Formats: sequence, structure tokens, C-alpha cells
Amino acid sequence: MNRRIAVIIPAYNEEQTIGGVIREVKGLGDGYAVIVINDRSRDNTTGNAEAEGATVLELPVNLGIGGAVQTGLKYALASGFDACVQVDGDGQHPPHEIPKLVEPLFDNGLDMVVGSRFLGSAYRVPFMRSLGIRVISVFLKITMGVSFKDTTSGFRALSRPAMEFFATCYPQDYPEPESLLLAYKKGFKVAEVAVEMNYREHGISSITPIRAAYYMTKVLLAMLIDLFRKV
Amino acid sequence: MQMLHIRLFIGIIGIIFFLATFEFIRKRHLREEYAILWLFTSSAVAVLSLWPGLINVLSEVTGLYYITAVLTIVFSFVIAVLMHYSIAISKIKEMNKELTQKCALLELRVKQLERGERTGDEVERATGLEPATSSLGSLHSTS
Repeated sequence: MNRRIAVIIPAYNEEQTIGGVIREVKGLGDGYAVIVINDRSRDNTTGNAEAEGATVLELPVNLGIGGAVQTGLKYALASGFDACVQVDGDGQHPPHEIPKLVEPLFDNGLDMVVGSRFLGSAYRVPFMRSLGIRVISVFLKITMGVSFKDTTSGFRALSRPAMEFFATCYPQDYPEPESLLLAYKKGFKVAEVAVEMNYREHGISSITPIRAAYYMTKVLLAMLIDLFRKV
Repeated sequence: MQMLHIRLFIGIIGIIFFLATFEFIRKRHLREEYAILWLFTSSAVAVLSLWPGLINVLSEVTGLYYITAVLTIVFSFVIAVLMHYSIAISKIKEMNKELTQKCALLELRVKQLERGERTGDEVERATGLEPATSSLGSLHSTS
């Protein structure tokens, strides 16, 4: 297969896990190129990523995950990649599941394929987080009439049209649920695919229970406003 | 007598406010577009307090005799200014994001050219953003 797939890895202080993730991606074959976006880490994320042969984009100031992913999209688009996959640098997303997300883009003509923790296997999530995921799921059901379970999954593949769309329009702080809504509004073909996910190897989730309420309010408000926005 | 004291006090505040604004513009701490707003506000405070007859004329003309009504107007003015700042900050944040991304893309391009990994043309293609993605004109489409 001659397709070139960009594996976009946004990373913030992920020196311990990034090397392993890149090595696994490289093991998938030549069609996959790794692009790490170092979101102003204070550790050796860049050095460890480059040692494994990744292309590293270093943001001079911290932009948050949305801004980091978007940088990767811009690079991948300009470099002529045919599709991209977003993978976390903390080892939560197993690289061997990447083909499951990428193949439907080409085989079924989809624009966005999201790796889901809740289809099939029973993945344990902290209560507040699980509640948030479900509330957003209900919101999508009511407003867009779609059934989507893992609304905060960042393990996702995008077609070139979707990459072009999100390169100009991508939320900065908590982009996953909002970008789902935008994709549906834009009329992209979106699908959820069962994947297995690891529990975090190092570090803690960027969403602590204390911030969950703020997260929910902000995301729901943003999504509500997006409903009135032309995409 | 009491009224005169208060008026003098407010008038002096207005004048200090005016002079401070002037000084901030002189030192380039304040851009002219904001300066106009503050120069106008401080002059208004100074003139109204030092020339009380004017305020009577104004209240005759507008029918604003009640202090609550005046307060409401002042409060609305402050809210409008704050809203303007929130919008300005959001815009600056978006511009800052675009610049940061462009900076990272260009830095990678320099590195690749230095290492001789690619020819100039290839690198140009890889990091030269398409106008639609790099232009700040697309501000409205982002959140």
C-alpha cells in the first residue's frame, strides 16, 4: 500500500513513554510517519522522540492539546499525507490498533474514525469522567440524532478533507467532543470503532475530578454555541 | 461647601487620570485607540466636576435626575469596555496560536534544511502552509 499516513502525537512532558509509542508505530510499516508535537514540555520529550526517528515540531509556548494537534494537521497537510491518526504520547492508545482506525477511511469512505473504549470491552473510567462522557453522548443524540459512546476519545483517524477542515477550525482546550459535533455538522461520515486501550502508564489524566465540572460546562456551552455556527 | 470639596476632589482625580493617560501614551504603554477612550473619559470627569452647571444642563436635557440612572449609565459603560477587552484578548489569543504554530513549522523547516534532510523544494512544500490555514483572516471560523 502506497498510502502515507501521518501519526500525530501531541506530547506534554511525555519523555518516559513517547519512545515506546513511536517504536511501536514504526513497527506498523513504512506507510506510517510519526509527527510529534511537543507542546512546550519541560523534559526531554523532543530528544527521546527524535532518537526514535520521529519528526518533532516544537511549540515555543504551550497551546494546549487542540493547538498542538492542529499544528500536526497543518504539517501533515502541507507534506501531502493521505490521512492522519491522532495518538496520545502517554501509551494509552496502543499503536497496533491504528490500522483498525485508518482502514475504514479508505475501505468505507469515512472521514473520521474514532477508537472507542466502550464498544465491546468494559473499560473502567472514573465516575465523574464517565458521567461527563455520557452527558455529551446524550447531547449529541438530542442535537444531531447520532449515537456515539466514547465522546472524549482522542484516538482518531481523519481523512484528508477532515484534516483540511480541522486545520482551519479546531477547538483549543478540550477539542474531542466539540470536534465530533463540528464533524457531524459539516456532514462528514463519522464512525466509532471498538479498540482496546491501555490504562495510563505514567502521569495522571489532565482532567482531575475537580476540573470535571468546569470541563463539562465549558464543553457543553461551546457545543451549544457550535449548533448556531455555520461550519 | 461640602459639595465644593467633593467636586474639587473628583475634579482633581479627573485631571490626574487625564495626565496619567497622557503619560502612558507618551511612554507607548497605551495604544492610541485606547488612549482616545481614556482621554475622553478623564476629560469628561474633570469637566463635569469642575463645572457643575453643565451637569444640571445635561440632566435637564436627558431627564436623568436620579443617581441610580446615572450609575446605570456609568456601569453600562464599564461593562462595554470590559466586553471590548474580552473580545480583544480572544482575538490576540487566536493570533498568538497561529504565530506559535507557524513558528514551530518554520523552526522544523530550518532544522531539516540544516541537516540537509530535504531539498529546499520539498521542505517548502512540507512547511509552507496553504493560505487558508495560515491566514489570520480565518479568525472567525475558530473557537
